[in-house]
Amino acid sequence: MAARIAQLSLFGVAIIIGLLLVGQLRSQARPIELSSLTAQELSVLVETLSARNVELAGGLADLVEQIRDYEISEARGQSEVLLTAEDLERIRAFGGLLGIEGQGLLLEVEGSFDPTAINDLINELRNAGADAIAIDDIRITARSVAVLGTDAIEIDGQPIGQTFQIRAIGSPEGLRAAIERPGGILALLQQSVDARFSTTEERTLGIPPTRRDLVPQAASPVE
Amino acid sequence: MSRRLAARPRLNRPQWALSIGAALAVIGFVGAAQWNSSIARQEFITSAQRVLISQAQQAQSQQESLRSQIEEAEARVRGFQEQAEGSATLSTRLSEQVAAARLATGLAAVRGPGAVVEIADSQRSVPADENASNYIVLVDDLRDLITALWASGAEAITVAGGGGAGGPGERLVSTTSIYGAGSAILINTTLLSPPYRIEAIGPDGLHDRFLVHPSYITRVAKRIDAYGLQFASEPRDELTLPAFIGNTRLRWGAPVAEAN
Repeated sequence: MAARIAQLSLFGVAIIIGLLLVGQLRSQARPIELSSLTAQELSVLVETLSARNVELAGGLADLVEQIRDYEISEARGQSEVLLTAEDLERIRAFGGLLGIEGQGLLLEVEGSFDPTAINDLINELRNAGADAIAIDDIRITARSVAVLGTDAIEIDGQPIGQTFQIRAIGSPEGLRAAIERPGGILALLQQSVDARFSTTEERTLGIPPTRRDLVPQAASPVE
Repeated sequence: MSRRLAARPRLNRPQWALSIGAALAVIGFVGAAQWNSSIARQEFITSAQRVLISQAQQAQSQQESLRSQIEEAEARVRGFQEQAEGSATLSTRLSEQVAAARLATGLAAVRGPGAVVEIADSQRSVPADENASNYIVLVDDLRDLITALWASGAEAITVAGGGGAGGPGERLVSTTSIYGAGSAILINTTLLSPPYRIEAIGPDGLHDRFLVHPSYITRVAKRIDAYGLQFASEPRDELTLPAFIGNTRLRWGAPVAEAN
């Protein structure tokens, strides 16, 4: 009897120890420690998360409208071909397979850059909500990164000169404010690279499709 | 020949009392450690921070709901598009083109060979005269690793927080930014925490090319050596990566029709 009680007690204690140790280990895994961020960092984070939520809500509203269009077209016995063709254009434009036109920011750059600086600049424009980006005539896709080539910086195998243009389609004011803010990417780059920048808000910008073949060779769709 | 099992010694009272006593001591120690760390963490939070933390948490939960609604709506749209399949030659061709475009742009789940890379904060104790942020994974580390993978020929990449335990990971697409606010890292719309697990699908040799790529060895590999950031990578015969979930609508531009 005493042995059974001992076993049960040890079993109970072992469970409690296990639970506590898991809790302790998880706290070592550095979860998103919002409490460790400064008020300023938190404020930027809340602003960014809220902006992303507005984008998501807009995307959801468009999808709901698209579903309604499909339903109406189905109810009327019409073909969904037109709707699907529109969706195809949208997907291809989103991914860089089709050109885009719209308002945005033109950034002219002159000087000596390194690939990391260009990648940081692209990242900052994406973070500021750019729909599409091109550097000279090179459309930036998910897979486009600046690397050091044999003679120059290259993106998608194409060289970038010492003078180049970055076109970003998005809110002209929003993009400009994001990159020109004090302590922002341009301020940081001006300290680390020897380059000059000029920005112009444009009402009409054109961005070409990528010349790169994005059809995957190793990846196949999950059925 | 039969073998008799040795008679099991029965625990007598003092033995199990000692075991329980030792176990309770461990519980007390671990419990006290947790209690102390949570107190220390809360001590320095100002009321403004508390409000902002609550706003950030609200935004995150709103985001989860929006993403799941988007996922559902996307599935319904795909359903309409697939229904049309076979109804006419034009519809079939269009459906195939949509599927191909989704595959090329990160909007379809994919599988294939590739590489897995994991990075986490250092477990070394930070010397008094050093910056503690050197010992944690920074947004630049993730950007460098991802740049090296793309440049090494990756065709699809996801990044997951919590070592992948929290979910399948964020698929990187043309609009993805990798953004750091303090020690928090935001990819697409999701806040991630370490350990970070990057999965990439690409042609043979992706892992070998990645390990010698300048975007990896120039900065992040040095930080791994210098500060003891935890790092592991290996090639994989097959990985399955999810589709991107999020906004794919153009807000400021419109597609330009292709010249025939």
